[in-house]
Amino acid sequence: MTAKKNVETVGENVGFERIRRITGYLVGTMDRWNNAKRAEEHDRVKHSTSTMEQL
Amino acid sequence: MIQTIVKRDGRTVPYDRGRIERAIFKAAAALGGTDESIAASLAVKVEEYLTDNLHNTKPSVEQIQDAVEKVLIEEGHARTAKEYILYRAGRTRVREMNTGLMKTYEDLTFKAAVDNDVKRENANIDGDTAMGTMLKYGSEGAKQFVEMFMLDPKHAEAHKSGDIHIHDMDFYTLTTTCCQIDIDKLFTGGFCTGHGFLREPGSIQTYAALACIAIQSNQNDQHGGQSIPNFDYALAKGVKKTYRKLYVKNLAKALEAYADLEDAEDKVKALAAAVKERTGAVPAYLNQAPFDEAAKEELAALGLSEDTIKRAQAFALRHTEKETERDTYQAMEALVHNLNTMHSRAGAQIPFSSINYGTDTSPEGRLVIRSVLLATDAGLGNGETPIFPIHIFKIKEGVNYNPEDPNYDLFKLACRVSAKRLFPNFSFLDSPFNAQYYKPGDPNSEVAYMGCRTRVMANVYDPSREQTFGRGNLSFTSINLPRLALKSHHNVDFFFELLANEIDLVFDQLYARFKIQAAKHVYNYPFLMGQGIWLDSDKLGPTDTLEEVLKHGTLTVGFIGLAECLTALIGVHHGQSEQAQNLGLDIIGYMRKRCDEKAKETKMNYSLIATPAEGLSGRFVRLDKKKYGIIPGVTDKEYYTNSFHIPVGFEISAYDKIRLEAPYHALTNGGHISYVELDGDPLQNLDAFESIVRCMKECGIGYGSINHPVDRDPVCGYVGIIGDTCPRCGRHEGEAVSIEKLRELKKTYPGMPDYECYIH
Repeated sequence: MTAKKNVETVGENVGFERIRRITGYLVGTMDRWNNAKRAEEHDRVKHSTSTMEQL
Repeated sequence: MIQTIVKRDGRTVPYDRGRIERAIFKAAAALGGTDESIAASLAVKVEEYLTDNLHNTKPSVEQIQDAVEKVLIEEGHARTAKEYILYRAGRTRVREMNTGLMKTYEDLTFKAAVDNDVKRENANIDGDTAMGTMLKYGSEGAKQFVEMFMLDPKHAEAHKSGDIHIHDMDFYTLTTTCCQIDIDKLFTGGFCTGHGFLREPGSIQTYAALACIAIQSNQNDQHGGQSIPNFDYALAKGVKKTYRKLYVKNLAKALEAYADLEDAEDKVKALAAAVKERTGAVPAYLNQAPFDEAAKEELAALGLSEDTIKRAQAFALRHTEKETERDTYQAMEALVHNLNTMHSRAGAQIPFSSINYGTDTSPEGRLVIRSVLLATDAGLGNGETPIFPIHIFKIKEGVNYNPEDPNYDLFKLACRVSAKRLFPNFSFLDSPFNAQYYKPGDPNSEVAYMGCRTRVMANVYDPSREQTFGRGNLSFTSINLPRLALKSHHNVDFFFELLANEIDLVFDQLYARFKIQAAKHVYNYPFLMGQGIWLDSDKLGPTDTLEEVLKHGTLTVGFIGLAECLTALIGVHHGQSEQAQNLGLDIIGYMRKRCDEKAKETKMNYSLIATPAEGLSGRFVRLDKKKYGIIPGVTDKEYYTNSFHIPVGFEISAYDKIRLEAPYHALTNGGHISYVELDGDPLQNLDAFESIVRCMKECGIGYGSINHPVDRDPVCGYVGIIGDTCPRCGRHEGEAVSIEKLRELKKTYPGMPDYECYIH
């Protein structure tokens, strides 16, 4: 008798939440940002946390 | 003889009976008719009716259509008449639909937010819900009404063309922007929110709950955000009350257990009152000794031994401290949850809430600060990062900035929490423009910011009340700096001329809006004014207008795109050359000078703000692109850089960005903020995080915020940085993971969310 294989999975089509600060307040997902703010977030230069001495 | 007819747009065109014939036949054909000759004879009858009966030889389209209907009915073609009427009504609907507002409504109705930028104007409103859409219907309709009927045509034209932007135009006839709510004053003696009286809160739980209610109620009276400037000071009173209640209860329990004291609680209550009467001492958090010492007398009088008293007091102290801390934490937890889930504005929006804290050094105040930070750190039900409230930690030398300062530990904690949760932001009471008001121990002298960055402190209208409590912004209007630069064709003198004129226009418009706001009454603001939250509103009677108290608020000029403006004028922005920075400071300095002069002249609080610009960030550049084409460094992006910021895409060190932006904080007395963007997880380098905050303080920044990516995998609950795969469970975005694996992970991370909800 073979054991019935029952591989259940979860999380299909579930995305990651990416919280970003819009104009001073947070929004949990960028889906609700207007086009201009999305473009701006895309352009943001990020400073490296690992080379903070060169702040 | 009809020779011409008048079209709807007023044009005169030659008459053509054939058109009437065709329209009648079309209606008849819809019912199955096929006889064109009937339509022809009916058309003749229509013509005769117009000339013979109405003596109208130059009819309008409407008149002709009326005549057609009449003739059809009288000649016995009732069903055809009905068909014609329906067709006509349909044509009218189509015509109306094509006007701008109806088109907007159509888009709101049928397009999902993902396809409709208007629905995403405000990211914290879900434009896809019924209430969110209803809010938008009202908002767009109101804007059109205001533009057509309420605005001076000059102001309307300037706004429509994109020279200026009148913010919150939908609320133009209705209310003001925001307010700093002194909840200490509000709670003292209790208050109302519309139905029923809320007694003065008696525990930290009710203090916290009512704080949320105050924010929500005020949000229903204004179109902007709501802030509490004295969060720690006010809620500390709740901690005090909770501690005293718990202490009495616990002492009573101990005495009942150790000494079989009957009616212990009543006796202890009476005892505490007596001690207070006699010595002024009360049970106090982290300062219990005075009361315990004093109470020995009353306790001995109950016949209790010294040993019993000692044990009972120790028991009471131990448990009361623990329970007070637990109650305070849970109250803060509830507050954070509440402010992330409650809705106002007809259920469409979560109130835009902010809390300021950091300077109360009392044990109770410190407990509030620590608890709200830890509750934020823990997150919401599944560990999510709370969106609201916006936290602003007030930094002050001598209070929390240096290692020897009493609240330094809380500053360190604030950095740690901010490095994880993006809040608190930091305000700096030592920056010269804030420090000038500061009086130690007086929270009303501490500049408090709204979360968005609005700042109201000076008071030209009433210099004896340069304070933050009970005041806020009345309205603001932003100037399109890049456009003025483009209009001036690299001529800086001409630019300043144009700017001067634009400022004049904005002053006019701000004042016109003020007059509308000032004509209202207390009953238009049942909470903000009815409960005396706005400064001096408690002095108003029911028939008074609001002019004299609204003048405590600010009338604010804003701006956007200094960087693009400088590039348009001299080819570089202020991150690129010292000359550009000097010109930038001249421009903003000039705007501030004009506001100061206007304020002095009118004794009203005109001020200058570095506009937050959410919906506006794209609007101006879209219009300018159409007008001027694509100009490198100016209109070649989809947005204008916020206020005086160095362009976000420009490579510059965090230190230099802070250094260059700081002087603009001093000039924008109506509000300002500077951001630093980090690419990684600052929790891995808290020293670096703190050094950025310290750099802001040393450079004279007024309000600052550090951005870093905060990602979360809803399936396994991981919070941190997620690249392509989740560091905890390894899945890609949208990929499934086995329940077996999640069960295994849960052993290591017991706080993981419940994945059952994902099982189909």
